[in-house]
Amino acid sequence: MTIDKTVAKETRYIAAWVLAFSVLMQVVFLLIGEWDYTVLLGNLLGAATAVGNFLLMGLTVQKAVAEEQKDAARRIRMSQSYRLMMQGAVLIAAALIPWFSLWAAAVPLLFPRFAIMVRPWFDKHKGGEDA
Amino acid sequence: MLELSIGIILGACALGAGCAMIAGIGPGIGEGNAVAKACEAIGRQPESKSAVTSTMIMGCAIAETTGIYALVVAMLLIFVAPNLLVNVLMKAIQ
Repeated sequence: MTIDKTVAKETRYIAAWVLAFSVLMQVVFLLIGEWDYTVLLGNLLGAATAVGNFLLMGLTVQKAVAEEQKDAARRIRMSQSYRLMMQGAVLIAAALIPWFSLWAAAVPLLFPRFAIMVRPWFDKHKGGEDA
Repeated sequence: MLELSIGIILGACALGAGCAMIAGIGPGIGEGNAVAKACEAIGRQPESKSAVTSTMIMGCAIAETTGIYALVVAMLLIFVAPNLLVNVLMKAIQ
C-alpha cells in the first residue's frame, strides 16, 4: 500500500513536533531532577507510539475516503478501537516493565494534539504574506 | 478493617478507570461520522481530495485526543493511584 503524499506530509509535520516536544520533556525531567534512563526509554516508546498511531490513522483515512460513506465510517470506528487498544497495551507495557517510566511514555501520546494546537500560530507567521 | 479499606480503594480505582474509558467510545463514533461526510464532500468535488484529507486527518487527531486522555487517566488510576492512596492510608493509620 502506498502512502498518500498528504498523509506523509502531515505525519512528517507531527513527527517533527513530537521530537521537539520530547526534547522539551527531557529537559523538564532534567530540571526537576527526575531524569534517568527509564524516562528516555519511556519517551522513545511513547513518541514512537504517538507517531505510529498518527500514521495508522492517516492510512485509515486515506483508505476510507475512497469508500462508500457507511463502509468508511465503519472502517474508522474499527481502526480507532484497535489503535486505542494498541496504545493501552503500550501503556500497560510501560507500567509493568521496569525499563520504562509510565509518565514519560504516557505524556508523548498527547504531543500530536499540541502539535496541531501550535499549527495555526506557525501558519499565520509563515503564511503572513499569503493572507 | 484495613483490608476492607484497601479493598475499597482498589475497587474505586478500578471502577474509576472503567468509567473513564467510557470516553473512549465517543471519538470513534465522531470520527466515523466526520469521515463519512468527507467521503460525501470528495464525491461532490473530487479535486478537493487532498485538502479534505489533510483537514480530516487533523480533525481525527484532535477528536482522538479525548480517548487518549481517558486512556491515560484509566492507566494512572490502575497503576499509580492505588499505591499512592494505600500509602496515604498507611501513613494516616500510623
